[in-house]
Amino acid sequence: MNGTPEANLIRRAYWFIRIRWIAAGAVVAITFFATRALHIPIRAPALYAIAGTLAAYNLVFLIHLRRVTAGPEPVPASTVNRTAALQISFDLLALGALVHFSGGVENPFLFYFIFHMIIAGILLTRRAAFLQAALAVSIITAVAVLEYSGAVPHHCLGRYVGRTLHDNALFVTGVSFVLASTIFAAVYMATSISSALREREAALAATNALLVEQDCIKSEYVFRVTHDIKGHLSAIRSCLDPVVEGVTGPVPPEQLNLIDRARRRSDTLLTFVKALLELTRMRLSKEIVMDAFLIEHAVESAVSYVEARAATKSIVVDQAIDDTAGWITGARVYVEETIANLLANSVKYSRDGGRIAIRVTDEGETVLVEIADRGIGIPEDEIPRVFDEFYRATNARAAERDGTGLGLSMARQVVERHGGEIWIESREGRGTTVSMRLPRNPPRGLSVGPALDFQRGEAYHEGSAGRRGVAQSG
Amino acid sequence: MSDKQKILIVDDDPDIVEAMKVVLESRKYDVSVAGSGEEGLALAKSVRPNLIILDVMMETGSKGFEVSRKLNADEDLMKVPILMVTAIKEKTGIGFSHESGDDAWLPVDEYVEKPLKPGELIKKVEALLKKNPA
Repeated sequence: MNGTPEANLIRRAYWFIRIRWIAAGAVVAITFFATRALHIPIRAPALYAIAGTLAAYNLVFLIHLRRVTAGPEPVPASTVNRTAALQISFDLLALGALVHFSGGVENPFLFYFIFHMIIAGILLTRRAAFLQAALAVSIITAVAVLEYSGAVPHHCLGRYVGRTLHDNALFVTGVSFVLASTIFAAVYMATSISSALREREAALAATNALLVEQDCIKSEYVFRVTHDIKGHLSAIRSCLDPVVEGVTGPVPPEQLNLIDRARRRSDTLLTFVKALLELTRMRLSKEIVMDAFLIEHAVESAVSYVEARAATKSIVVDQAIDDTAGWITGARVYVEETIANLLANSVKYSRDGGRIAIRVTDEGETVLVEIADRGIGIPEDEIPRVFDEFYRATNARAAERDGTGLGLSMARQVVERHGGEIWIESREGRGTTVSMRLPRNPPRGLSVGPALDFQRGEAYHEGSAGRRGVAQSG
Repeated sequence: MSDKQKILIVDDDPDIVEAMKVVLESRKYDVSVAGSGEEGLALAKSVRPNLIILDVMMETGSKGFEVSRKLNADEDLMKVPILMVTAIKEKTGIGFSHESGDDAWLPVDEYVEKPLKPGELIKKVEALLKKNPA
């Protein structure tokens, strides 16, 4: 979300405000130095007042920016741009006043107008930037003309500058002209560069949108194909089951052996297809329905799903849940399933008599769930890949032929859809710890693509072939 | 179990129909089958089954829902329990009607995902028949 043009704009707006704090401070410091150390007879009180004004309206703009960005809706770019334009205009007026009270056209700080033009060129549209340039030139010209004509008093810089410089028509015209042309040239160059950058940004955003869309089409395709395959698989298994279970009468052992193998393979495939369906559905779903639930309950039921399997390998599952773990908002079915899948992985890749620890830590705004085992671990160079779809670590494949390679992709998908993070620490032969951090209140609008609108998670567990159908969120 | 109880299977996948039929017949149920919604409705009226096993994803993708509503609207059939089976449970975005409370919209008694193991199928069927003695 941080890469959107709006987010960039807001970041720039904050940056702009930070710069102004520095500018206000600099005005105070330079005025102090100029009057106390250099003894330049400038109007210090007026300059301090301008610095104060600068700080005051900066504060107002900061509060305004905080307010508009606090809401849940994205801030329209036009609002940010308008505010930026207003700030630049204020800055130009402040700088004009500053220059006027410190020597007018004699003041070398006159060239600071160019900074503003560069900022305008970056932040604003070309037209708005040129309007700012026109304002800047008008202010400079006004200061020069009014002081030259004597309509406003000239505040002399004292012995540092010739007494009559502001009265010298050639000097005044020359400075004004050079400055004005520099200003327009600066704006022209800055806007040219920034509009080229903006075009590229837009092109990248468009490409990205296209990729997201294509990814969605791909997911839909995968979903449909997988769904179709599942239909055939269901039929295959429906036909094999009664035979293997003897419903149709006794089957000679030699035949039963082969039929049962076929059934088991169809079962494995069905598990895989279900996982793939689940993952694609999750990717295609616009929004997942979230409710508040106790994380403790989710963990407890997840543990109960793997207990039987853990028991067959004499594996102990230790639970340590913070008393304050409390409520989180999320899709309980998915969260529970994710924890159960991670636990199932730990059971699968632990040695007989092993230990698995699940720990839930209250972190205030977030909840940390860690699942640690002392199983076979993951080779170091393969850790970054284990969240990839269909990826299975080499040692995992060697230990267990069956596995979809989708469990961790699913886990990542679930955690990311909740605005959380998931990571793995592992040492081959020593064990693995999977950690997931879930926000108590996931931000809204985490969804990606359009398309199908699924409400609820179909329960999927490796090896249990979706038997957990009736698990319900509270 | 007194007389032979009648079960109607409505599903457009002939292989799944056949498999379920075999399993149920092994338990001495009297099984009739229909391959479409219309056929299913007609058969339900003539056979008067004690239980209907209805597939969701027929033809149009939600024909089963329509059939279940029509069955529920029929005075003679509204009491017949329906076991709804589906290829994908959440594809249509519905949960479990008897738990979500909108029975009027999806009047089924049980909602399960295919494939069902023979043991499960029999258990579900027995439970529904016990709950709704004809």
